[in-house]
Amino acid sequence: MTVGLNAFILVAGLLFAVGLLGVILRQNTLVIYMSLEMMLNAVNLALVAFSRYNGTMDGNLFVFFIITVAAAEVAVGLAIIVALFKWRQTVMVDRLNVLSR
Amino acid sequence: MTDSQTVLALLMTPLLSAVIIACFLRRRGTLASIVSVAAAAGICVFTVMAISGSGGEVIRVSANWLQFGDFKVSMGFFFDGVAMTMLTMVAFVGFLIHVFSLGYMAKDKARGRYFGGMSIFMFSMLGIILAENLIMIFVFWELVGFSSYMLIAHYFDTEKAKAASKKAFIVNRIGDLGFLVGIAYAYWHFGTTNLEVMRSAVGANPALIDWTIAALLMCGFIGKSAQFPLHVWLPDAMAGPTPVSALIHAATLVAAGVYFLIRITFLFPDSVLNYIAVLGTGVAVYAGFCAYAQNDIKKILAYSTLSQLGYASAAFGLGAPGIALFHLITHAFFKALLFLGAGTVIHGCHHEQNIFKMGGLLKRMPVTSVTFLIGMLALLGFSFFGTFGFAGFYSKDAILIEARFESKYLFALLIGGAFLTAGYMGRLYWTAFLGKPKSEAAANARENSIIMIVPLIILAFFSVVGGWIEFWPQELGGIIREDIAHQENNEDYEHLHHTVLILGSAAWIVGLLGSMVFYGIGAKEDRLKQTVRPLYALLKSRLLIDELYDYYVAKVQQRFAVLLSFLDVFLIKGVLVRGSAGVVGLVGTCSRLLHVGSIHAYVYWFLAGLILFWVLATGVSF
Repeated sequence: MTVGLNAFILVAGLLFAVGLLGVILRQNTLVIYMSLEMMLNAVNLALVAFSRYNGTMDGNLFVFFIITVAAAEVAVGLAIIVALFKWRQTVMVDRLNVLSR
Repeated sequence: MTDSQTVLALLMTPLLSAVIIACFLRRRGTLASIVSVAAAAGICVFTVMAISGSGGEVIRVSANWLQFGDFKVSMGFFFDGVAMTMLTMVAFVGFLIHVFSLGYMAKDKARGRYFGGMSIFMFSMLGIILAENLIMIFVFWELVGFSSYMLIAHYFDTEKAKAASKKAFIVNRIGDLGFLVGIAYAYWHFGTTNLEVMRSAVGANPALIDWTIAALLMCGFIGKSAQFPLHVWLPDAMAGPTPVSALIHAATLVAAGVYFLIRITFLFPDSVLNYIAVLGTGVAVYAGFCAYAQNDIKKILAYSTLSQLGYASAAFGLGAPGIALFHLITHAFFKALLFLGAGTVIHGCHHEQNIFKMGGLLKRMPVTSVTFLIGMLALLGFSFFGTFGFAGFYSKDAILIEARFESKYLFALLIGGAFLTAGYMGRLYWTAFLGKPKSEAAANARENSIIMIVPLIILAFFSVVGGWIEFWPQELGGIIREDIAHQENNEDYEHLHHTVLILGSAAWIVGLLGSMVFYGIGAKEDRLKQTVRPLYALLKSRLLIDELYDYYVAKVQQRFAVLLSFLDVFLIKGVLVRGSAGVVGLVGTCSRLLHVGSIHAYVYWFLAGLILFWVLATGVSF
C-alpha cells in the first residue's frame, strides 16, 4: 500500500494548524517556541513529500537549510528565554507586557 | 577740534551725561543734577563754538550706518542756518530750565531719574535738529517721544501722570504711523531720504513734489506739535513736573514738529500748505476758547501753547517758514518764562495749581509776578505804538501781515485768536496775581530761592529783546530775515502794516481790559461759569473731542476688537489650532489601541498582515 500525497499534505497541514494554534493560544513562551518549531517541521514534511512525488531534490535541499537555520535559531531563542527568565522570573506572555505601559 | 567734531561733541555730551546718570548716579540725586546741568552748559558752549567756527557755512557730516544691498541708511548732520537758529534757542532755553530744575526739584526723591531723563531728552532733541535725513530724524523723533513719556510720568505714583504719559505716547504714535509711511514713500519716490538731495531733486524738477508724501509727513508734525485732531495729549501732559512742561511741552519738543516742517518745506505743494494754514488758524482759535474754562494755571498755559503753535503752523502754511521759525524762537523764550513763572508760583503755594485759590501774589512774589507779566505781554504782542515791542510782537505781527497778504478770513480769525489770548491771560493774571490771597497756601507764599529766580530774569530779558532780529548774530536767522524782507518788499506793505498794527494792538488791549472788567481783580469765582453756564460747560468739555475719542475707543474700536478676539478664539484657536491638534490626538489614540503590549495581539496583527499581503499578492480586487 502506498501512502498518497494527500495524506502527507493533510498531516503537514494539521501539524501546521496545531503549531499556529499553539502560538496563538498558549501563554508559556517555551511552549510557543515549540509550537513555532512544529510549524517549521510541518513545512519540512510538506517539502519532503513534494520532493518525493516530483522525483527531484529541490525540496530536500530546502529542508536541509531549514533544519540548519532552525537549529541556530533555537540556540539563540532559548538563550533569550533563559535571559528573560533571569530578568523577570517568568516566561508567561501575559506578564510580559511592559511595552503597553 | 574741527567743526564736525564740535557738532559731534555737542550731540554726544547729553548722551554721555544720561549714560553716566543711568549707570552710576540713579540714587545720587545731587551728583546727577550736577552732571546733567554741566552737560546742558556743555551744549551751550559747543553750540557757540560750532556756530562761530562755521562762520555761517553749512556743516555737513555723514557716515554710513546700515547697508542692505542697495539700501543705505546714513547718519549725519546737516547744520545750516535754520538748524543753528533752532539749536541756539534749544541749548539756551534748555540750560536755563536745567538750572531752574536744580531749585524746583531740590526735594524730589527721584532726582537721578529726572535729570537723566532731561539729558536724554536734550540728546534726542539735538538729534532732530542736526539730522540730515528723514530716517535719522525719525529715530530721534521716537527718542523724543520716549523721553517725553518718561518725564511726564515722573510722578508715576499718581493715576493722572500715568494716564497722561500713556496718552501722550499713544497719541504721538498715531501721528508717527503717517510719518513712517511718508518716509517709506519718500524713499521710494526719490531714492533717498537725504534732505539736501531731495531738495536739489525737487529744485531741478518741481513736478516731483507729491502731495501724498507731504500729507503723510505732516501727520508726524500733527502728533508732535499737538495740532488738531491729535492735540488732546498736550493739556494732559501737564501732569509732569513744571520744568518739564516748560522745556518739553512749551519750548522745544512741540516746536520740533514745526521745525521738522521747516526742514522739509520744499516737499510741500500749495494744497497741503493751505490745509496747514487753515488747520493752524483753527487750532489757534479753538485752543484760545478752551483756555477760558481751565482753572489750572498750567493747563491755561498749555492751551496757550497749542494756540501759539497754531500761529506758527499757520505762518508755515501761508508760505513763510522763516516767520514760523521766528515765532517758535520768540515763543520758546516767553512760554518757557511763563511756565517757569507758573512753576515758582506752584512751588511757592505748596503745589496749589488752581488760579482761583491764589491771588495777591504780586506782593508776596514780586520778581516772579513782574517777570510773569513781562512774559505775558510778550505773548500778547505788546508794543509801544508799534515802535518798540516785546519778542512776541515782532513774530506775531509778521504772521498777521502774512495772513493779511494771503487771506482776509484767516487774518480775521488770527486777530480773533490774539484777542482770545489776551482775554485768558488777563483772566489768569488778574485772578492769580492781584487782589487778596484766597487760600492759606497763597497767603503764605514766599519768593523762591535765587537759583529759580535768576533763570526767570534772564528769560524775561530775552522775552523783551528776543524779537529784535537786527541784533541777532549774523549766522542766525537768515531764513527769518529773508521772509521779513520779502514781506517788506511787497508794495502794499506800508499800508497793510498800519492796519495790522492797529488791529493787532486793539486785539490785545481790548482783550486785556475786557477780561479785567468781566472777571474783576482777584476774583473768587469764575464769572463766566456763574453767568453763562452752558457756554462755560461747552468750553470746559473742549468741544467734546476727548469724549469723542473715548466713545470711539470704547464703543467702536472695542467692539471691533471683541469681534476680532472672538474670531481669534473661535476660529484660530478653536478650529484651527485645537482642531488640528485634536485630529492628530485622535490618530494617536487609535494607534495606541493597536499597541497593547500583549504578544498574542501582535500575532493576530501579524496574521492579519499576512492575509492582507496574500490578498494583494493573489490579485483579489475589492
